[in-house]
Amino acid sequence: MNDVVRSVALVLLALSVPAWIALSLTIVLGRLRYERRRRVTTTTRLGSRAVARLVRRARRRPRTEWGRWRRVAALRRLVEAHHAEVPRLIRPVLEDPDPRVATAAIRILGNIGDGWAIALLVDALRRGYGSRSRIAAELERLAPAPGPELVRLLRDWNPVVRFWGATLLGRYPERAGSTVIALTWDPDPNVRAAAVETLGTRSGSAVGAAILARLDDSEWFVRVHAARSAGRVLGVEAAPTIARLLADEHWWVRTAAKDALRGLGPAAVPSLLAILAHEDRFARNGAAEVLQDVGFVDSLALENPSSPLLERIYEAGGERFREVVGARLRDVHAEEMRAA
Amino acid sequence: MTREVLTVLVLVCLGYLLLTNLTYVALVLVAAVENVVRRHERASQDFEVLGESRFTIPVSVIVAAYDEESAIVSTVTSLLALEYPEFEVIVVNDGSRDRTLARVIEAFDLEPYEVFVRRTLPTGEIRAIYRSRRHRNLLLVDKENGGKADALNAGIDLARYRYVCGVDADTVFDRRALLKGMRRVVEDPARIIGVTSHLAIAQNPERVMAAPAGRRPIDGRPFFVYQHLDYLRAFFNNRLAWSRLGFMLCSVGAFQIWRRDVLEEVGGYSRTFTCEDIELTFRVHEKYLREGRDYEIHCLPDNMGATEGPDTVRKLVAQRERWQRVIDETVWSFRGMWFRLRYGAVGLIGCPFYLVTEVLAPAFEALSIVSLVAAAALGLLDPSALVLMLAAVAFLNAALTASAILLEDLQSRTYRVRDLVRMLLLAPLDLVLYRPIMVWARLKGSWRFLRGDKAWHKFERNVRAAA
Repeated sequence: MNDVVRSVALVLLALSVPAWIALSLTIVLGRLRYERRRRVTTTTRLGSRAVARLVRRARRRPRTEWGRWRRVAALRRLVEAHHAEVPRLIRPVLEDPDPRVATAAIRILGNIGDGWAIALLVDALRRGYGSRSRIAAELERLAPAPGPELVRLLRDWNPVVRFWGATLLGRYPERAGSTVIALTWDPDPNVRAAAVETLGTRSGSAVGAAILARLDDSEWFVRVHAARSAGRVLGVEAAPTIARLLADEHWWVRTAAKDALRGLGPAAVPSLLAILAHEDRFARNGAAEVLQDVGFVDSLALENPSSPLLERIYEAGGERFREVVGARLRDVHAEEMRAA
Repeated sequence: MTREVLTVLVLVCLGYLLLTNLTYVALVLVAAVENVVRRHERASQDFEVLGESRFTIPVSVIVAAYDEESAIVSTVTSLLALEYPEFEVIVVNDGSRDRTLARVIEAFDLEPYEVFVRRTLPTGEIRAIYRSRRHRNLLLVDKENGGKADALNAGIDLARYRYVCGVDADTVFDRRALLKGMRRVVEDPARIIGVTSHLAIAQNPERVMAAPAGRRPIDGRPFFVYQHLDYLRAFFNNRLAWSRLGFMLCSVGAFQIWRRDVLEEVGGYSRTFTCEDIELTFRVHEKYLREGRDYEIHCLPDNMGATEGPDTVRKLVAQRERWQRVIDETVWSFRGMWFRLRYGAVGLIGCPFYLVTEVLAPAFEALSIVSLVAAAALGLLDPSALVLMLAAVAFLNAALTASAILLEDLQSRTYRVRDLVRMLLLAPLDLVLYRPIMVWARLKGSWRFLRGDKAWHKFERNVRAAA
């Protein structure tokens, strides 16, 4: 047994001690080198041989994941060096089947931000290279330059592309007004949702009418966006209609309606009070919650604590509602006392 | 007869040692590839764009707090300072017996508030809800004690957003933690359902996180250095590799991002296990693989913050015996996945790996100590051979530890050079100074698992100096 144990131990030692030393040196020396490089503030110019090597690496079509990332790294360095071949070299990276690699190319294009880079980004959005949400983030960051390119997306055969076109036009209230309104009737519910959300950044009677129509959409997520947009565009005029959504069967729609009504502030109170008589418990509860959020409940409790209306709100708000309002008012009184 | 039995035992333990270490070396190689890929990916990441984009998916951060009066304010402060376009922080006070509730109310100017709570997941009774007058994205839920899983479920019921991030109340987070965690998710939210990442360990997390990356100190006491090294090994040598091989089996409780519909679909965190994190990860894998669904759960190599580590041996043993217990409970509970082709890498590699290197480890470690000592005492094993063997194991551990440090440093450059040197020099002594505590804790945990103990045995919080 001694021989076996000793032999195994020696083999392990022969492997592990050099490994530990080598790794330790790599860590410490590597880190010192990194720190030294970081301290050097001037950027080093790439020599022609280094550029040629990077171009070769960027041109390669690697099969391994490692190779793909090396290609991305090479491309990044060529971008930093403003190399003329970048527009040609980046295209295959953008078309890489690995969405993470393609997304890296998207980020590089976003950093470049030139006309050709925007055109490539829009093209990538259409063709589905990489993550569309990342392309959208880059295009939005480059606003207003991509505006004209985006309008074309609204007429694409692919509903996903129309969706992103409509979404991105949220930053361009002056563009494609009628087309965006028309998209609120798109057969694809995602497109309708995007269009109605974008209309939330615009104004006008046609916009308002299109949004109101979508409050009754058959898809719950379209109603979510419609509720938020209605609050923003139509203001208090839409409050009674939005308040109706407090009885929606979907939690997200009810939440969006509450958000929209909260955003209207005290102006929403009459519509909310009307909901207190609603047959749906969730609608009554939601109305009470928003009345609390806009400050109506606290002021009523301070001014007229025995008001029957306050009782109705307490009833609608659920068992803890009265207690919570009481606790909040006690805090207010205590603060007033302290201030006095 | 005794001699023959001892010889067999020593050889079996030797075989176990070689098998596990070969596995670890293989995992390190896989982890290195994953680390490089993630490093490239991160290098081409633009956190500024991600942090300002309206397309970055909003997240509800849930902090489960039980008797955390010393740490909770720092934790919530660090969360409110996160660089992220849209998020909310939901602190769930799980019936704390100390001043956790009062401290949060005072520090963040909270007022009572009533909000409709969806009862998607059943939880203990909610006593009150508070919201901050200063931070509109901060909510506090005060509920009766029901355990961490119950507290997290209560947070999920209140969460507004599609992704939830469960965090510990004793952790101080990096400002970009959520951006780093969500960067993979935003690229493929349909497939990436869970993300976890690496945390540093410290006696006083505020002090560590107050320093910028690259200058973060490591607590001076070797006791903390060893705990930190333990974390580094677990994350960089193992979880990165698991992530790459498709069996990331433990989303850590201190930082775990999940898609909320997944949590709701599996019934939320389970209250029947000692801890909630590992069991949930197993359960999600089991469900998705059984139903043949396409999904990914990732461990990222980014440092997300620093979490408080126990500062005494007694506290450390209490913590680690609990971890051992929950591993045993979970691996046993999901024994239906072991070696089953249907469960892919999880069933064929992940579960057996856990079984061999975690569940059976305490037994083999104890057996190794007993048999080696007995063999030496009986003259079967030469003392010089014993010393050589111990040295070999110590350096094997040190090499694996150095690999983890290298992967971390290449990825984040978090720590100072002198701390790197200190960690590297302390690594070979791990076998003598730290491992015995772990062996004892794991044995204790295994014993308690066999006895059916499911108590949390929360360790008492460290007394912190002002940051």
